[in-house]
Amino acid sequence: MGHQPNINDMLLEVKNISLSFGGVKVLSDISFDIKRNEIRAIIGPNGAGKSSMLNIINGFYHPQQGEIWFNGHKRVSEKPFKIARQGIARTFQNIALFKGMSTLDNLMTGRITKMNTNIFWQALWKGPAEREEIQHRERVEQIIDFLKIQSIRKTPVGRLPYGMQKRVELGRALAAEAKLLLLDEPMAGMNLEEKQDMCRFILDVNDEFDTTIALIEHDMGVVMDLSDRVVVLDYGRKLADGTPDEVRNNQTVIDAYLGVVHD
Amino acid sequence: MSLELLNTLEVILNGLMTGVMYSLVALGFVLIFKASGVFNYAQGVMCLFAALTLVGFQTGQIPFAHLINVIFGTEYHHWSSDITGGMNSFLAIVLTVIVMIGFAYIVERFLLRHLVNQAPIILFMATIGLAFFMEGFGDLMWGANIKPLDLGIPSGGSFWWEEVTRTWATADSKYIGMYIDVLDVWAAVIAVLLVIVLTLFSQFTKTGRALRAVADDHQAALTVGISLRTIWVIVWSIAGIVALVAGIMWGSKSGVQFSLSLIALKALPVLILGGFTSIPGAIVGGLIIGVGEKLFEFWIGPMVGGATENWFAYVLALFFLMFRPQGLYGEKIIERV
Ligand SMILES: Nc1ncnc2c1ncn2[C@@H]1O[C@H](COP(=O)(O)OP(=O)(O)OP(=O)(O)O)[C@@H](O)[C@H]1O
Ligand SMILES: [Mg+2]
Repeated sequence: MGHQPNINDMLLEVKNISLSFGGVKVLSDISFDIKRNEIRAIIGPNGAGKSSMLNIINGFYHPQQGEIWFNGHKRVSEKPFKIARQGIARTFQNIALFKGMSTLDNLMTGRITKMNTNIFWQALWKGPAEREEIQHRERVEQIIDFLKIQSIRKTPVGRLPYGMQKRVELGRALAAEAKLLLLDEPMAGMNLEEKQDMCRFILDVNDEFDTTIALIEHDMGVVMDLSDRVVVLDYGRKLADGTPDEVRNNQTVIDAYLGVVHD
Repeated sequence: MSLELLNTLEVILNGLMTGVMYSLVALGFVLIFKASGVFNYAQGVMCLFAALTLVGFQTGQIPFAHLINVIFGTEYHHWSSDITGGMNSFLAIVLTVIVMIGFAYIVERFLLRHLVNQAPIILFMATIGLAFFMEGFGDLMWGANIKPLDLGIPSGGSFWWEEVTRTWATADSKYIGMYIDVLDVWAAVIAVLLVIVLTLFSQFTKTGRALRAVADDHQAALTVGISLRTIWVIVWSIAGIVALVAGIMWGSKSGVQFSLSLIALKALPVLILGGFTSIPGAIVGGLIIGVGEKLFEFWIGPMVGGATENWFAYVLALFFLMFRPQGLYGEKIIERV
C-alpha cells in the first residue's frame, strides 16, 4: 500500500476500527468496505454499535484505532463539516432537522457545500449570489418533486408528522448530492405504506443519482430487498459480511440475531 | 384632544424612542445567544469599544498614544496637527466595522474555540472576563476621557412636529406642542433599517440560512457542512456592528463614556421579557420597557418621589420571571423523552 490515491471500486474502506467510551468497548476491530454505487446494509441488535459506526464515518466519533479510507484517500481531516464537504451526507436515527425552518430552507441548507459565492455578494443579493440562489433553488425543487413533498414546501418542519420529517431529512441529505449517503434507520416508526415509499426512494436515488448508500435497518424484509451486501454487527464485533443470501444462511447470524425475535 | 392625552402621547412616543435603543442592545445579545448559546456579558462594553474606536478614527487619535508617550517620552496624541480634522465620518465608520470584525475573529480564535462544549456558566464567566479586558483595552487604546461624538446626525427638538401637534390641542388651551428629539427619530429609523436588513439577510441568503441552521441544531448544521467557527465569527461580527450602531446613538446623545457599557444592564430585563432566543422578542421587549418606564414615571413617579426609571424595568422583569419565564416569544422548554 503506497501513498498513491487508491482509485478502485471501493468508495469507503473501514479498517480495524476500535472505539470505546471510558472503559466500555463499543466497536472492536471492525473492517468492511462499501463499493461504489451499492446499497450496503448494516444490521445488528440494539446497542450493537451500528449508529456509532456511522458517527465514525461522518466524523462525530473518533475511533481509538483504525483507518478510514474514503474515495481512495486515507482520512486525515476529521471534522464533521469537512467530511460533509468531501461528499458524505447522512440522516439520523432520531431526526436532526432544522425544526424552525421550512422544508425548502432545510433542503437549501443541505446544499450549502455546493454554494460558494462570498458573503459580500450575498449581502447585496445581486449578481453571482442571485444566480446561484436561483440555480440551486431549481435543483432543490427537483428533489422536492422527486420526494413528493410539494405540499409542505413552506411548512416549518417541526410541525410535520414523524414520517414526513424522515422524508424531509432524506431530502436534505439528497440535496448535498453526496457521494456517500448514510441512512440511520430511515424507516423506523413508519407505517407500511410510508415504508414502501421510502424503499422506493432509496432504490431510485441509488439508480438515478448513482449514489452509494449505507443503510442501518431493523426490518429484515427491507434489508433483504434493498441491499446488495450486508454487514452484521453484534456487541461491537463483526459477525458476518456478504450478500443478503449468504448472511441469511450464516449459522452464527441465525443463532445470535435472526433466530431470536427482534422488536 | 385633551392636554392630558397629548402629554401621555408624548411620553409614549419618547418611550418608544428609548425603547429602540434597548432593543438594539438586546438584539446583539439574542444573535449571539441563539448561535452559540453564550450569554455575552460583554455586549455593552462592545458598544462602548465600538463608539470609542469610531471617535478615535474620526478625530484622528493615535491608538495607544498614552502608552507610546509613557514608553518613549513623546507627546503624540493625534496624527494630524489639525485636531478637528481626523477622518471623514463615513470612512471612520467603515474602519470601525473592520475593527469589530477583527475583534469577532479574535474572540473566536482565542476564546470560543477553546471553550467548545463547556457549560453555559463557564462561557458566561469567560465573557465577563472579556468585558473587563475590552474595557481596559479600550481605555489604553483611546484614553478614558469623555468624548463627544458628532457624526452630523441632526439633533434637538423638532419644530415641525411641535407645530403639527400644537394644532391637535383644543383651541383655547395654551399647548405648545409635543417635544421629540430628531436624533431619536434618526436612531429609530436606522434601527428599523438595520433590523430589516438583518431579517432579509437571514431569510434569503446562504449564510443567513446557515446562521439559522446553527441556531436551530448544531449537530445537524455540522452534518450539512457548516463550520461552526465561521458562523461564530460572522455572528460576533454582526453583534459588533449592532453594538456600533447602538454606540453611535447613545454616544451622540450623551457622549462616549464608560456609562455606555452599562446600557447592557438595561438589556437584561428586555431579554427576560422578550425571551433570550427571539429576535422579535428583543424588539418588542425593548419597546415595552422603553414605553413602560416612561409611562410609569409619568403616572406613578410623582407619587413616589420620581426616579422610577432606574428600577421599573427590573421589577417588570421580575414579574415576568414569575408568570412567564420563557418570555413573550421564547420557546417553552419542554424536554422530550
Ligand atoms: N456518545 C456515547 N457515549 C457513551 N456511550 C455511547 C455513546 N454512543 C454510543 N454509546 C454506546 O455504544 C453502544 C452502541 O450504541 P449504538 O447507538 O451505536 O448502537 P446501535 O447499534 O445503533 O443501536 P440501536 O439499534 O439501538 O440504534 C451502546 O451501548 C451505547 O450506549
Ligand atoms: Mg442506532
